Amino acid sequence: MTDPRSVGSAALPRLVGARVARREDPRLLTGQGSYVDDHRPARLLYAAFLRSPHAHARIVSIDASAALALSGVTAVLTGEEIARASKPVRAASKTPAVKVTSFPPLALGKVRHVGEAVAMVAAESRYVAEDAAERIVVEYAPLPVVTDMEGALEAASPLVHEEAGTNLLVAREFARGDVDAALASAAVVVRERFRFHRHTAICMENRGCLAEYATGSGTLTLRSSAQCPGIVRDVLSDLLDLPENRIRVVAEDVGGGFGAKASLYPEEIATCVMARRLGRPVKWIGDRREDLLATSHAWDEIIEAELGLDRDGAIVGLRALVTADVGAYSIYPWTAAIEPVQTISFLPGPYRVPTYRGRTRGVATCKTPLGPYRGVGRPPAVFVIEGLMDRAARRLGLDPTEIRLRNFIRDEDFPYKSPSGIVWDRSSFTGSLLRAREALGYDAVRAEQTQARAAGRWLGIGVASYVELTGIGSAIPVSPGMPIATGTEAATIRFDPAGKVTAVFGVASHGQGLETTLAQIVADEVGVPIEDIRVVHGDTALSPYGTGTYASRSLVLAGGAAIMAGRAVREKMLVIAGHLLEADPADLVPADGRLAVRGMPDRSVTVREIARAAYTGAKQLPKGLEPGLEATRFYDPYYGTASNATHVAVVEVDRATCQVSVLRYLVVEDCGRMVNPLIVDGQVHGGVAQGLGAALLEEIVHDDHGQLLSGTLMDYVVPSACEVPWMEVHHLETPSPVTLGGFRGMGEGGTIGAPAAIANAVADALAPLGVEVAELPATPERIFRLVARATR
Amino acid sequence: MKPPKFEYHAPRTVDEALALLGRYGGDAKVLAGGQSLMPLLNFRLARPAALVDLNRIPSLAFIEESGGGVRLGAMTRQRTIEFSPVIAQRVPLLKEATRWVGHLPIRTRGTVGGSIAHADPSAEYPAVLTALEGEVVARGAKGERVIKAADLFQTYLTTNLTPDEILTEVRLPAMAAGTGYALEEFARRHGDFAIIGIAAVVVRDGQRCKTARLATAGAGPVPVRLRAAEEILERDGLGEAAIDAAARKATELVDPDSDIHGSADYRRHLTGVLTKRALVRAMGVARG
Ligand SMILES: Cc1cc2nc3c(=O)[nH]c(=O)nc-3n(C[C@H](O)[C@H](O)[C@H](O)COP(=O)(O)OP(=O)(O)OC[C@H]3O[C@@H](n4cnc5c(N)ncnc54)[C@H](O)[C@@H]3O)c2cc1C
Repeated sequence: MTDPRSVGSAALPRLVGARVARREDPRLLTGQGSYVDDHRPARLLYAAFLRSPHAHARIVSIDASAALALSGVTAVLTGEEIARASKPVRAASKTPAVKVTSFPPLALGKVRHVGEAVAMVAAESRYVAEDAAERIVVEYAPLPVVTDMEGALEAASPLVHEEAGTNLLVAREFARGDVDAALASAAVVVRERFRFHRHTAICMENRGCLAEYATGSGTLTLRSSAQCPGIVRDVLSDLLDLPENRIRVVAEDVGGGFGAKASLYPEEIATCVMARRLGRPVKWIGDRREDLLATSHAWDEIIEAELGLDRDGAIVGLRALVTADVGAYSIYPWTAAIEPVQTISFLPGPYRVPTYRGRTRGVATCKTPLGPYRGVGRPPAVFVIEGLMDRAARRLGLDPTEIRLRNFIRDEDFPYKSPSGIVWDRSSFTGSLLRAREALGYDAVRAEQTQARAAGRWLGIGVASYVELTGIGSAIPVSPGMPIATGTEAATIRFDPAGKVTAVFGVASHGQGLETTLAQIVADEVGVPIEDIRVVHGDTALSPYGTGTYASRSLVLAGGAAIMAGRAVREKMLVIAGHLLEADPADLVPADGRLAVRGMPDRSVTVREIARAAYTGAKQLPKGLEPGLEATRFYDPYYGTASNATHVAVVEVDRATCQVSVLRYLVVEDCGRMVNPLIVDGQVHGGVAQGLGAALLEEIVHDDHGQLLSGTLMDYVVPSACEVPWMEVHHLETPSPVTLGGFRGMGEGGTIGAPAAIANAVADALAPLGVEVAELPATPERIFRLVARATR
Repeated sequence: MKPPKFEYHAPRTVDEALALLGRYGGDAKVLAGGQSLMPLLNFRLARPAALVDLNRIPSLAFIEESGGGVRLGAMTRQRTIEFSPVIAQRVPLLKEATRWVGHLPIRTRGTVGGSIAHADPSAEYPAVLTALEGEVVARGAKGERVIKAADLFQTYLTTNLTPDEILTEVRLPAMAAGTGYALEEFARRHGDFAIIGIAAVVVRDGQRCKTARLATAGAGPVPVRLRAAEEILERDGLGEAAIDAAARKATELVDPDSDIHGSADYRRHLTGVLTKRALVRAMGVARG
C-alpha cells in the first residue's frame, strides 16, 4: 500500500481542479473516432449469429448444409465444434456461496434463454451471413421454461443447470448483532416487499468485435467494444490455450459501457475461434435486437426488508431478504453473485445500523444473464433503505431529512465499519444533506407543496442519500468471491527526446473523459502543458498490466499510478537539469516549460533540453545515471475509498394520466478532490438520466414463455433529451484521506441516487392517498393502479 | 437486422410504378419514406421480392386547395405538411397532429400516404383522416377509386388497398373558419407512438354545438369514431357537464388492447381523460 503522504506534491498544481474541455470530443464529435466497426482489414469476413427462439430447449440436431451451400458463406460454427477449440467459460468463485456453472460460447446440448447464440456464420457480407443463419436448421425439443425467480426455488422446478443440482446459484448472508431481538423490541417497524425490475444498459455503440489471427507469428488481435481489455486478454489466453504475450486486446474508442461491456461475452470467444480457424479476420457487430437479447441485463430483484427504529427515530435493526433473477448464466469474471451480493453489502447505506441481517439468493432462470450495470446492487439497495427511511419518517411524524440526519454515520464515527464489513472513510453524509436542503430551499419547496396540495395537485419531494465504495484496491475483490485480481493499475509516463509525453494506461476510457483527466494529472506532475501529453489506453499490447475500467476505479487507480510515475520522472528531470545547470536539484523551480535556478531565471533549461540529454547518454548525464526518461508505476489503494451524495427530486404526478414530471432535480455530491468539475458534472448528468430511466421508464419484460417483449427501443423505453430534467449539481470536496491525490471514484453515483429520490418523491406526492411506491419503474400504468386501489 | 435480398425499382411515373407492381403480382411493396417499411424489412418481418420506390415520382408530392378541400399527394413529407401555410389555414388539425409524429428526422422522410397506408392504429394521421371524414384516392390496374376513411382501415396495419394499388392522394375537407380543433395525445416518451390519442373537431353555434367529431389513436385495431360521444355534444352543447358526459361515453365506446405500455383499463381511462382535454381545448379555439 502506498501512503498518500509519502510521494510529495505535484510540479505544477494548476490543471487538477480546472474545468478543462474534453480533449477527446473534437475527435469523437467529428466522426474521427476509431470504433471496432471502423476497421476493415483485407480479406475480412462478416459474422452473424443464429440465436435461440426458445427460452429452454434441448438441441436435437443442427444441420448447416443449406447455409454452407449459399454463395459467399465461408464457415459455420456450432457449439460442439467450438467446444473443441475453446474451453467453456466458468466464472470461478472462492466462496462456497456461489455454485460454479459453465457458459459455453455457443449453446451446447441445450439453450437456456431466448437470444442465446447457437451457431455462427462467417460470410462475405453481413447480409449473406444473416441469409445463411436463417438456413441453418436446428431441431429443438422444448423444455419447461423457468421464468419466475421464486418459483424456480421450489423443489419441483425444472433446472437451468443440471450440474448445479439447484437453481439457487448464489446464497450469502451478512449479519451483525441480534437483529431479531432488536426488531422485536423496536418502537416502530416498517416493512415492505420491494420490486426493482429488470433493466439493461443501452450503449450508443452496440457490442462488437473483430479478431485477426496472424498465422505466421501465432498472435491473435481482438478489437472489442469492451471496458476491460486486460480481463478479456487474460481469460482468452486460458480458454484458447494461447500465451498472454500472443494475445492483444484493443478497445480504442468505445461508445459507452455502463458496466454492460465489462464482462466477457460468447461472441468475443467465437469470433476469435473463427478467425483462428480460417486464418482470416472476422468481424461481428451486434445489432440493437441482439443487444437487447444478449447483452447482460441488470437488477431484477425482489427485496423484502424490515427496518426497526426507536421512539426517537434511531435505527435499531435492519433485516432483509434479497432474491435476484440472475438469468441463465453466471457471467465472467463477476459471477452471478455480483448483483445480489452487492445489494446486501450496501443495504445499510450511510447509516449507523447496529444490528443487521441481509440474506441474498441469486436464482437461475431462462433469461439473459444478469451482469454489472452502473451502480451494481446499489440502485436497488438505496431504493430499499431510502424507501424504508421515508416510511419510518411518515410513521414517526418526522421530516424525511430529519430522520436521516439522526441516523447518518457521524464525523466522529469514521472510519466506520458497516455491518457487511465495508469500512467507510471520512465522508460528508450530513454535510451533503444539509447543503442539499439549503440549495433547494427545502422549507420553501415544502410550503409550495402544501399550497399545491390544497389546490389538489400531487406534488412530492424525494430525498436519497447514499454512499458507494469506489477505487477498490487489492484488499477485497470488486465482485464478492471473484478470484481474479482487480486491485492495481499502472501508468507508464514516457518523454520522447523532443520533450513530449506519452502516458500509457491499462484502463480503458469508454466515455468518461479519461484522456482529459489523466492528462491533467500528468501535466501537473511532470510540469508540461497538457497539449504536450498524449494519453494512450485500452490496448494490452501498449500498456503495462491492467484490467480495465469498471467499478468507479479508473481515476482513483490510474490517477494514483500517474501521480507515482509522474513524480518518478520528475525526480529524474530535476537530477538531469541540476547536472546541466550545475545546480542543486533542490534549488530548481519550474518556470514556463523550463526549470530554472531559484532566483536566477536566466539560468534555466527547457524540458526539451532535459529530455534530449536523457537520451543522449553518459556525456550529458550525471555519473551513473541510467539514460532514458520514463517510469512505470503500479498503484494499489488497498481498501479503496468512498463517494457519497444526496439527491433531491421534486415531482408532480398528473392526476388524470398518472404521468410523473420531474420539476426539479438537485445533486450534492462529494467525490473528494475533483480533477475536472466539468467532467464530474457530465458523469452526474448521465448517471441521473439512467437512474431516471430506471425510476420511470425502462423495463425489460418477458412473457411466461421467456420471450422478450421489450425487444426494440420502441418497447424498451430509454429517456430522451425531453424526459431528462435540468439538474442542479453541487460539489463538496472532502479529499479522500486514503488515496493518492485525494480522489474518490464517481462514475456510477448518479444512477445510484436517482431511482430512490424519484421513487420517494412520487410516494411523497401520493402520500395523501396513503400510497407507497414499492415497485420500479413507476410507470403511469402502475401509478394508475396504485391510485385506483387507494381511491376505490 | 439486414433485410433479405430484394429487387429495387425507381420508376418516374405512377403508371410505371403500377406496371411494376403488376409484374410482381402482389409480391412487391411500394417504398415511401421508409420509416416503417425499412424496420419491417430489417427485422425480416416483410420479405417482398421487390421494392417499388415512389420517391422519384414528382407528381405524387403536392399540396393543393381544390373546391372545399385540400388534396395532398401521397408522397408529401410530414415535414412539408408541418410548415405548409395551406394546411395551417385549411386543415390546422393536420398541422397540429404532425407535431406528434415521431421526431424531426422521421418527419423529414415520412409521408402522409405512407402513414395512412401503413395504418398503424396508434398513428396520428389515420385518426385525423377519420375525424375529418376524409378520403384517399387509390390507383390500380383497373383504374382509380376513392375510399372513405370509414371504409379504409380494416385492422392492425391493414387497409382495403390491394397489393397492386398505390395510394396516390389524400383528400381532406377544409375546416370552416372558426372550427375548434385539438389533438391530445399521451405517450410515455416524447415522439413515441400514442398510447392514446384523441382528435377533436367542434363547430360552435353560440353555446350549441353544430358538429362534433372525435376519433382515437391507440384504442383498438383501427381508429375509432366516437359517434355516441359526439351526439351528446351535438345534443347538449359544449358545457362542462356535456363534455364530462361525452368523455365518460368515450370510455365505453373503445375496446383497446393491453400491451407492455398500458393495459386496456388504463387506455380506456386515458380515452376519457384525453377526450375531455381535447374538447376543452377545441372549444377554446372555436369561434361562432
Ligand atoms: C422512431 C420512430 C417514431 C415514429 N413515431 C411515429 C408517431 O409518433 N406517429 C406516427 O404516426 N408515425 C410514427 N412513425 C412512423 C412514421 O410516421 C412513418 O413515416 C409512417 O408510418 C410511414 O410512412 P413512410 O412514408 O415512412 O412509409 P413507408 O415506411 O415507406 O411505408 C409504410 C407502408 O406503407 C406502404 N405504402 C407507403 N406509401 C404507400 C402508397 N402511396 N400507396 C400504398 N402503399 C404505400 C408501404 O408499402 C409500407 O407497407 C415513427 C417512425 C419511427 C422510425
